[in-house]
Parts: sequence; structure tokens; C-alpha cells
Amino acid sequence: MKRSFIKWKMLVVMTIGLTVILSGCSAGNTTSSTDKPTTSEAANASKENGGELTFALAGSPNTLDVGLTSSDIEFRIGRNIFDSLVGELPDHTIKPWLAQSWEISPDQKSYTFKLRQDVTFHDGTPFNAAAVKANFDRSADPKGQSVYAKQLLGPYESSEVIDEFTVKVNFKEAFTPFLSNAAKSTLGIQSPESFKKYGDKVGQNPVGTGPFKFVSWAPNAEIVLEKNAGYNWPSPAAEHSGPAYLDKLVLKLISEEATRVSSLQSGQVLAAESIPAQNVVALSKDSRYQVQQVLLPGGTFALTFNNEKAPWSDVHLRKAVQSAIDVDSIVNSLYLGTFPRAWSALSPSTLGYDSSLENGYKVDVEKANQLLEEAGWKVGADSIREKDGKPLTLNYIDLTGNREKREDIIKMVQQQLKAIGVKMNISITAAGPYVDALKSGGYDLAGLSFAGGDPDILRTLFSKANWSTNEFANSNFARFYDPEIEKLLKDAYQEADQEKRIGIYKELQQYFVQNAVTIPMYVYPYTVASSKNVSGIAFDFPGYPVFYDAAISN
Amino acid sequence: MTQMESPAVPSMWRGRKRKTVRMVNGRRSLFSRLLIAASGLLLACLILFAIAPQWFAPYSPTEMNTSAILQAPGESYWLGTDYFGRDIFSLIVFGSRDALLVGISAVLLGGSIGALIGATAGYAGRMLDSLLMRLIDTLMTIPGILLALTISAVLGPSKFNLIIAVSVSSIPGFARVLRGQVLAIKSRPFIEAARANGTSHFSILFRHIAPHALSPFLIMGTMGVGSAILMGSGLSFLGLGSISEIPDWGSLLSQGRSYISVAWWIATFPGLAITLLVVSVNLLGDELQAAVGPRKGSTKGGDSK
Repeated sequence: MKRSFIKWKMLVVMTIGLTVILSGCSAGNTTSSTDKPTTSEAANASKENGGELTFALAGSPNTLDVGLTSSDIEFRIGRNIFDSLVGELPDHTIKPWLAQSWEISPDQKSYTFKLRQDVTFHDGTPFNAAAVKANFDRSADPKGQSVYAKQLLGPYESSEVIDEFTVKVNFKEAFTPFLSNAAKSTLGIQSPESFKKYGDKVGQNPVGTGPFKFVSWAPNAEIVLEKNAGYNWPSPAAEHSGPAYLDKLVLKLISEEATRVSSLQSGQVLAAESIPAQNVVALSKDSRYQVQQVLLPGGTFALTFNNEKAPWSDVHLRKAVQSAIDVDSIVNSLYLGTFPRAWSALSPSTLGYDSSLENGYKVDVEKANQLLEEAGWKVGADSIREKDGKPLTLNYIDLTGNREKREDIIKMVQQQLKAIGVKMNISITAAGPYVDALKSGGYDLAGLSFAGGDPDILRTLFSKANWSTNEFANSNFARFYDPEIEKLLKDAYQEADQEKRIGIYKELQQYFVQNAVTIPMYVYPYTVASSKNVSGIAFDFPGYPVFYDAAISN
Repeated sequence: MTQMESPAVPSMWRGRKRKTVRMVNGRRSLFSRLLIAASGLLLACLILFAIAPQWFAPYSPTEMNTSAILQAPGESYWLGTDYFGRDIFSLIVFGSRDALLVGISAVLLGGSIGALIGATAGYAGRMLDSLLMRLIDTLMTIPGILLALTISAVLGPSKFNLIIAVSVSSIPGFARVLRGQVLAIKSRPFIEAARANGTSHFSILFRHIAPHALSPFLIMGTMGVGSAILMGSGLSFLGLGSISEIPDWGSLLSQGRSYISVAWWIATFPGLAITLLVVSVNLLGDELQAAVGPRKGSTKGGDSK
């Protein structure tokens, strides 16, 4: 009895102690988020104070070797460690960064870059032409492990070191997207010394020239970066010069979206990325927080028909589905106005986006029914249309996980298609069966989005070269092929004249909508929510967060 | 054979002192009787819902009214609407079918297989007993939910696979209880008499032993329905349930989870439905046990007939 009383006493004391500690913490956090100055001048005044920014990342990276990986989260972190040769502004102009100037050869096959001469890597080694060559050669190595960087280098042939600070990059054929690709963190320049020093472990020990240096990495917990004090070569989009304001950047790895939001609300982090729609709405109304959104360039999320497989190889049937789906009501219900509806295969922030497609077609169930009637599909049992005794079914495949509420989208589409007598079968599976279906082409409809900077993403999505084979799954889920379109896709990436190039991309976008090759659904906005005392989080062109100008006011 | 008496009393009701709550001076309290009545009423309602949901649900469960998304509970939508604009009450009414179906069929399937294994082991004894019970022991070392999770992850999400997963995880419990029952009954004089008469093993097991082992099986089955519903909902919460147009309660709960700070009703009411159903089934199971089950650790229920 007495012992249990002592235990009780201890418990009570501990609880009180803990409560005091916890309340102390939360009190501190509340002050920091409510006592913030609301004006940007006040924020400016305290920028030199530095401080530590905690940022919740959605997921956990495997490597920080941007030259090899293909995962977005890794490029987002890499953006703050590595600099690129050039920078792309939101209006798609290319500006000098680590390269001061460049020249393109008359045959469009070679780019000669004059590099900055005052740049050093975090390990003290100088940045020079040899470093650029080492990086590009490594990423383009056909036998190498690079995934995305290799694609971005396209028909890369070689790099030549002309002198210490002049490098010439050669391609096998004209490759216009190169400058835009070179602006991405994927082609950010890593220290060649670090390749030698760390070998396979360079992804765990990244060394760049960027505004932040890598400090430590606790797997599945956090990655710590610190200010590069000698930094003086900011990107063309930066708002100040010299080193970054922040002393330290702590990236907390929190995959679960609800946890990310509550970490922000409880003050455990000052900012968090990838906020779900319902919380974006709530946080925007809350005076203690601000929400930033950037529409990612590249491909939009589209319901992609298997254009090869009957009966959906018939354009009339696809157009019937296009007319029957009420994209607006789906997107507005699920994303509560935070995701814009997509009208094209390309996102509005991409070069060459054709805004004339907007509001180009309407929901028209009557027209959809008429198209199906004309194609010979008559309403049969259970109000499902039939032809030659076969019901009109549309088999949809996707991965489990309800990423960006895609499973919910398809449930709504299923109901809407019921109204025109199309039976939709939904098969949401794990990666194994999903990839098998992609390889064999045994589906009618699949969801697909492909972010990327350049409109050349259309080639990724619709070129015959990117069809899945029985061996491996590729990116042309539409299994689309048309010799004329194939030629336009090629012309477009070789065309040096920007106006002409945009013209071709517009033509392509029109074609894909008119033929209902895919049904664009939404444009993905990358979101960052932060406490009001955080300012200056910017986004580079593909939409990755840049912390160079970020500051915390007290 | 005295040590055989103890496994005859399933652990699930051994040492329970809950009756003291319900019994006041030997009589059942009014509160407990009300509780039982309420449970019975609730279960009856849910069974009616499951049989003919269209009579009770004010809306179609697939109707997505996009102009009325995330409506709070009110006059036109009693329990509110979800983010598709579907009526939560109608979804719960229609979902009751899946909940009961999974609960009952998992117990029927898992219970019969478990009972068969347990009874065979208990009756045959020796090698077969050791072999079967080691198999059951192996299954028992894996926590039920983990076992079910693995099975349904391997089989893929579907209603049928969900039932299989839940039933497999309930096999060991039934097998152990039935083995104990059979062991206890086997040593009774009337079985010896039947054996002396030259009755076949099959006949002894099914005609003489089975009727005496039935009541613990029924009680355990009733209780099992509750936990099977809970487990089934848990699995579909994790996305391993059926992907039909009409969601079950577990997937409703999971859909509503990320909206809990904006629209609490999406997750709350399906969660409440699961809780109430499981609690009433368990209360009724308790009641059944009190009525027909063995009392105070004896196995009297067996040989009085």
C-alpha cells in the first residue's frame, strides 16, 4: 500500500514536471508565432539575425546524389546544396548563374560556357571546366546509374575543357531543351573531388557550391544543412547577394500529411510542404500562417486512355467519355479550389502552354450518349451499353495509396460514366500487378502525371520510343503512336527558334485534346505553409523550394 | 485426467468477475437489463439495415451531390456529408451489410475450421494431437491482426480475401477451445459406454461429443463476430478491404481521417457505428454466456442433458 502510494506520488510529481516543461515549450512557440511583426520591413531588419529554419519534408530521400536519382524530394533538397550553370526564370528566360555567358554553335549542337572564376565547392576545391565535364560525363554515361539526369542530357556526346574556365558541351543532334534542363537541380554541379573521396557514398555526403552545406543526416528523421559563409554567387532569381540569411536549415522528414500539418500547428516546425487541400483552406484563413503555392510545370494529371486497345482505340468513344466527365465539379469537391482544373496535357507554367484550350469543351451528357449510340453501343441490361453482346467497360488501373486523392477522382468519374452507360472497373493494386498491367497494356485507362520543366515532356508522354514493352513499363501510358505527331515531337525539341517551337507545342496540345488521347484533370500545385514569422521562401523554376532568401523574424 | 479440466474452460470467460457488476443481490440490475435491451435493439436495426438498406437510407449511397460537400450534420443530412457530397447516414446504413457479412462469415468459416481441427486433435490425441496443436501454436504466436494483415496484403484487396484473412486469424482460438472441450467430454463415462457399444469414432465425435461442445462454441462465435467486425474494419481502414462502389465502415473511417480537423463527422459516425456494433455484439455474447455457458469454472453445462 505504502509503495503504491510512493509510486503515485512520483507519478504526480513527474506529470506536473512534464506539464510545466511542455507548457513552457508551447508558450514559447505561441509567442514566436503570434508576436511576429506583420510587415516585411520588420522582417528585413532582423534578417541578419540568421536563426534556424525547421522545414517538414513529405517523405524520406534515399540519396542526395542528384546526378543519379530520379526522385523529386531529392531534387528539392539538392536545390539548396547544388548550383546550376544557368537559371530559368518563371517567364522561361535563361540567365547566367555559374556560367557567366554562353554561345551556341550555328548547327545548334554545341554550347560553349564561360564560367565564373570565383566559385569554390564546400570542400574548398575550385569550381572549373573540369568539374562541369566530370559531372556531365558521369550522368550521361550509358553504363552509369543515372536515371533522370541522363534523360535531361538527351543526345549528349561529350564535354571539352577549352581552358580552365571554358567548357564546350557537344550533342549528337540539336537539343533545344538543354539550357532549360541545365537550370534544374538534377544537373546541379557536384564536387568531382567528392566522387573520388566518397565513391558510392557520395549520395550520403553531398558536396556542392550552393548556399547551404551538408552537415548531417539521420535516416527517416532529419537532414541538417548549414550556411555556406563564403557564398557569393546566388541564382539569377535571388533577391540578395552574399551568404544565405539562415544559419541552419533542418529538414524534418515527415511522410504522413496529417503529422506534417500538426507539426506546423504545434510549432515543431516553422514550415511544411505538400499540405492537403482541406488544410490549405484552414491554414490560409488562420492569421498565424501563410500558404504559398506554385503550379508545377510539365505534364498535368490526366486520365490516360490506352489508345491502342479496342474499343477505346475509337476516338468517338473517347470523346464521349471526355464530354461526360464533369472535371470542374470533381476538382472543386476534392481539392476545394486549391488545385486548378487542367485543360491541356501541359501545365500552365510550362513554356508553350496553350491557354486557348481553356473552356474549350463543356460537359455534355447528351452529346456523349449520341456518340456512343452512333458507334453502335446500345443500352442493355442494368443500363450498361452493349455491342455484339459485350458490355461497354472501362478498366482503370492505379497504385494503392490514393496519392493526391486520385482514387477519389476515379470514384467520382465512375458515377458520372454510369450516366452514359459505361461500366467502369477500378483496380487499385500494389506496384507488382500495376506494373504488370502497364507492361502488357492490359488496361483501358490509367492515371498519369509527369512533372518536368520543358514542354519536351510531351515526348516522354507520347513518343513511340516510350511505350511499355513486355519487359519493362515506360512513360507512354497512352500507348499512343501517330507518325505525324512523332515527327512534330522530334521537330519541337530540335527547333531553335522559340516562337516556332512554341507553335509546334501548341499544335500538339490541341491534337491531344481534340482526339481525347488523355483527359486532363488537374494541375498540381506544390504548397508550402509556414509560420508568419518566416519570410523569403522562394521557388526555382521547376517549383522546388529555395531557402537562400529565407529569414526568420523574432 | 484432472489437469484436463482446466483447458475445458476457455480462458475467455475464466476469471471474469464482470457478473458482480450486473448482479445486485443475485438479481440483474435494471441498468444491465436496459443495456442488453438497447444492444438487442441496435443489432436488430443493423440487421434490418443490412437486409434492406434502401428502405432506411434517405439517399443513394453512390449519389455524389457536389453542391453539398462537407455539410455538417443537419436537417437534410442527418449525419452530414463527406467530401464527395454523399450522405453519411446512408453510407452507414448501406455499409452495415458488409460489416455484418464480414463478421458473421469470418466466424462461420474460421470457427468451423478451427473447431474441426480442435475437435479432431482432442479426440484423436497422441501424434495427430501434437501435430495439429503445434500447427495451431505456430499460428498463435503471430498476433491475429498481423496474420490477417499479411494474408490480405498477399491476396490483394477484395471482400472475399478480407473474409479469408479474418477467418484464418480466428482459427487458433476456436481450435484450442474446442480441443479442450472435447478432451474433457471424452473422458466421461457415457463416451466410454458408447465406445464399448462399438460406435464408430465419427459417430462418437459428431453425435455424442459435438452436442456437448456446442454451447461454448456458440458463445465464442458470438463474441468472435464482434472482434471479426473490428478486425475487418481495421483492415479496410488500411486499404485492404473491398473496393466496391459502396464503401464499408472501415474505409469511410479512413477517408474521413484526414478531414478530422475540418469535418469531424466523416470519421466520427462510421467509427461510432463500428464501436456500437462491436459493443452490442459483445454484450449479447456475454448475456448468452450467462444464460447457457458453464458457470464458475465448472463444466456442468455439458452432461446435464
